[in-house]
Amino acid sequence: MLYQTTCQNSAQWVRIYYTLSDDERLTTHDGPRGWEVFSTTGWEKIQNHLNRVAKPGRYIGGEFNALVKDWDQVDLKVALAFPDVYEIGVSHLGLRILYELINNEPDMLAERVYAPWIDFQELLREKSVSLYTLENKRALSEFEVIGFSLQYELSYTNVLTMLQLGGVPLFREERGRDEPLVIAGGPCVFNPEPVADFFDFFIIGEAEEILIPLLRKIRDWKRSGDDKEALFREVAKLEGVYAPSLFRVSYASGGTIERIESLAETEPVRAVVRDFKRVFFPKRWIVPFLDIVHDRISYEIQRGCTRGCRFCQAGMIYRPVREKDPGLIFDALRDLAADTGYEELSLTSLSSADYSRIEELIADACGCFTPQRVNVSLPSLRIDSFSVDLAKKFRSSRKGSLTFAPEAGSERLRRVINKGVSGEDLLTAAEAAFRAGWQKLKLYFMIGLPTETEEDLAGIVELVNAVFRIGKTVYPRTNALRITTSVSTFVPKPHTPFQWRRQISVAETIAKQRYLQEKIRGRSLELDWHNPETSRLEGIMARGDRRLSRIIHQAWQKGAQFDGWGDRFQPEIWWDTFRENGIDPDFYTRERSYDEILPWSHLNAGLKTEFLKAEN
Amino acid sequence: MIPMPSYRVRFTKEHSLRYLSHLELIRGIERAIRRAGLPMAFSEGFHPHPKLSFGPALAVGISSAAEYFDMELVRDFPPAEIRERLNRALPEGIKVLAVKKIVRRVKPLNAVINRASYAILLRVDPRERPEIIAQLNKLPASSTIEIIRKTKDGQKVVNIRPWLHNLTIGVKDDDLLELEFGGEIGSGGNLRPDDLLSVISQPAEVLAITRTGLWREENGLVMDPLDLCDQAGG
Repeated sequence: MLYQTTCQNSAQWVRIYYTLSDDERLTTHDGPRGWEVFSTTGWEKIQNHLNRVAKPGRYIGGEFNALVKDWDQVDLKVALAFPDVYEIGVSHLGLRILYELINNEPDMLAERVYAPWIDFQELLREKSVSLYTLENKRALSEFEVIGFSLQYELSYTNVLTMLQLGGVPLFREERGRDEPLVIAGGPCVFNPEPVADFFDFFIIGEAEEILIPLLRKIRDWKRSGDDKEALFREVAKLEGVYAPSLFRVSYASGGTIERIESLAETEPVRAVVRDFKRVFFPKRWIVPFLDIVHDRISYEIQRGCTRGCRFCQAGMIYRPVREKDPGLIFDALRDLAADTGYEELSLTSLSSADYSRIEELIADACGCFTPQRVNVSLPSLRIDSFSVDLAKKFRSSRKGSLTFAPEAGSERLRRVINKGVSGEDLLTAAEAAFRAGWQKLKLYFMIGLPTETEEDLAGIVELVNAVFRIGKTVYPRTNALRITTSVSTFVPKPHTPFQWRRQISVAETIAKQRYLQEKIRGRSLELDWHNPETSRLEGIMARGDRRLSRIIHQAWQKGAQFDGWGDRFQPEIWWDTFRENGIDPDFYTRERSYDEILPWSHLNAGLKTEFLKAEN
Repeated sequence: MIPMPSYRVRFTKEHSLRYLSHLELIRGIERAIRRAGLPMAFSEGFHPHPKLSFGPALAVGISSAAEYFDMELVRDFPPAEIRERLNRALPEGIKVLAVKKIVRRVKPLNAVINRASYAILLRVDPRERPEIIAQLNKLPASSTIEIIRKTKDGQKVVNIRPWLHNLTIGVKDDDLLELEFGGEIGSGGNLRPDDLLSVISQPAEVLAITRTGLWREENGLVMDPLDLCDQAGG
């Protein structure tokens, strides 16, 4: 111990630390007598003002396992961009995978950037600082590639905010060959037409096996001096790559698509990981300080889903079902837990209870991790008592809630959507959950599904009440019983059997929500629903065409951003913009006929149209 | 029950990590302890939580040369090993400076710490410097120093004079002033760096604020929280 002074006269005690030996001094000091040096790069201009914004931890980086590579020692620099706030973006598994995959290449680097909240946007503008990545604190304009993850349609305007603040021209046509290539992946790019004008190309499907070959092609092209058109033609040969400029879309007088013409004779096909057992998975899991939405290690045990629910896009576009080996999963979890210090591990997939050796896996994981005070969890449960038994194994405390998703209220409608559970299944599972000690259940339903009538809504009410009655039988005397019914509005998605179906209007949505609000009441019953106008915009974007790029740009110019955030969403901006452009928003939510050319019909997601029609 | 071994840790919070909130810092350190392979003791009950307690929260944006936490482990480790393991597991910006084993009954950090010292680096207009210094020099002799604090319901006037215990002003350069001061923290009052800055009426750019120490003052004696682990007092 170098520190010896125990007691000092109180007039002097402030100075004690300044008389310590060098070892115990702050290590920062190299500025004017021991203070940090202030230089002129963007980060330096802004870093002293960060306490003006909410949660400044969003903009500083420095998390454990974040990798800061030497900027000058690589040939290709990729900014991985997520168009929503840090807490959501860091949670996203896909970008974690790509981050490490790229950084494992000695001659490349990947850095992260998330959508800046309004207060931070103002600070950037005030100080004339570009939006920067969290690692080397470089402006987006300094990267060769900016790759966005498009997870939901309502984040499109944030893409524009990020490009603008990053110093990057918004439209593909405005960007020269020396400016960043702006690309995107994620479920939205299965119909990326509404944002086609902003992006150079899209990666459709699973990127793990094709990303590095693609980036190498970009690196070689950078050296070659060829124009962007040449690059597009070259990368479009790769599985999964779709360059929208290689297709020309023409419209009929009514606004429907007359023709989608391939200019380079390429067919964009969804990329599928062939060797899922050995597919790349992160070993250096970033551990944020902030309370992010999925604050745990999420290990993907399985990809794809056997269930075939007709409304579910993920179930269609991540086929086929592929599993990892339990032994491999277990070893990886053990290493990740030790390396990160995380206190929760989640075994993720679209339907983890369907993993063929789930019991064995959970038994092994709980046996190993529970003594280390690390919880194991599954993100989603099937509606059966088997799932409740699983939940019992990994949840030592029953304080939280269990979630079941019957999706529709009646037997008939569940058959229409191919959700193969009966009302009996739900009640059995609910009873098992109550008997196992849970007092809070969440039930997920959709309204506006094809063929829905009032009887189906009445079915929701009946199921909720039946579940409540069972809860009351098991817990006659408690006030803690809580049944939360969460009702979303069905939005038809591309590449699903329901892609031709009509989406219900805002007025219909409100009427159906009212019906449920009136019938689902009581101190133990809670009801959540989605903003009807949000669902309308989501539906327009989901099945939109290229003419929407202009609409998105104009709405954004008028102030639309963070449209997925209830308190930020300004629907009037959107409807005004549609009106000014003479485009009827309902055109995009209407029913489509089988002979209509859908905006995404040139994109091959690996599903035959005949199959989708047969399932519709 | 045999008491588990407890340790008091002094650490820094600096660089960009000074922007972490108290809760974010705690979350980060708790995971670092796990990564370091130090087995924490847990409370009993439905929601067991690690026996880990921190000293007074530091305002977001302020660096610190001396923050503290106490932790209970299920096994004994040499303090030097704890320090080394933690420093290997901690991200840049948090560094453990010293670890002491707690060998006597101690009160929680938040209950014993009642003094905090700070240093502020200010950039000022050289022509205004004498006036700023004069303003600050008047403070120790004043009987009241009234400042306005923002509260949830608006503003309130607070007299910080009883909480300000000492203040020195250093001229580092023509346009650079360094204020070092100490005062009350905790239940007896709370002197914040912003309070002192609000006394200056001329424009001054705050370049950095550092908490230089946390202390226990009792009967005119000032003690280091680490020394309370094994010495009388507190």
